[in-house]
Amino acid sequence: MTRSVNPELDLTLSRIIKAPRRVVWDAWSTPASFEQWWVPAPAKCKVLEMDLRPGGGFTTHISENGGAFKPHMRGCFLAVDELERIVFTDALLGEWRPAERTFMTAVITLQDHPNGTEYSAHVMHKSRADRDMHETMGFHDGWGTVVEQLAGLVERDRAASSVP
Amino acid sequence: MEHYSDRLTGIFQALADPTRRAVLGRLGKGPASISELARPFDMALPSFMKHIRFLEGSGLIRTRKTGRVRTCSIERKSFAAAEAWLSTQRALWEGRTDRLEQFVTTTHARDKSK
Repeated sequence: MTRSVNPELDLTLSRIIKAPRRVVWDAWSTPASFEQWWVPAPAKCKVLEMDLRPGGGFTTHISENGGAFKPHMRGCFLAVDELERIVFTDALLGEWRPAERTFMTAVITLQDHPNGTEYSAHVMHKSRADRDMHETMGFHDGWGTVVEQLAGLVERDRAASSVP
Repeated sequence: MEHYSDRLTGIFQALADPTRRAVLGRLGKGPASISELARPFDMALPSFMKHIRFLEGSGLIRTRKTGRVRTCSIERKSFAAAEAWLSTQRALWEGRTDRLEQFVTTTHARDKSK
């Protein structure tokens, strides 16, 4: 398998988690566990659908500031290899139906490591992903804050560039 | 936020083309004239100039004319903006991984002590 990393659009991260692969896999693949960590507190996550098979739907809702649950993520699993790999995208919905908005494909891999499990994520974004980020902003965890920070950054940027 | 979104869209469009990426790669090593930049490409000058104008319009490079020679150089600030977008995505995934790790190690420790 050759999967290349495009540094302009992709991000990769890897972490050694001190627990057996089975435990990490269960935390990901059990909706009740997944809800415990997918979004940062105090936001709450609810898994509506997590059909772990190629073509299976993946739908979550989020509640922010104690409000009602709202759509968060809708996607489709592309590959699910027990204890090894989960690939999902929001370019498709369940049963391979093309999605209105598309943003990314994520490849999650689990490997044995002397200290537990090596957990890796390779997240590929499409170009112009920024546009979609703005469109779906309200549905993504923590992005309200992220956008504020971005705005702050731009304001600083502009202030700096207006100085002769 | 609007202007920021437009700016990022321009940056990603500019980076989507191999000729423009090559030009940026060359300019990463230092400023260069248009003719020097065009040399490696089998392309008519007007077509090449379109790429240069695209890069300039997206704010990734700036050009300056001295006499008959137009010199291009990289605009570092725009790269910082593209980097910031990816950084927010990274922060999101790092956060998720932190929480997964925390969740897994605490539940695992609890299960083991049962």
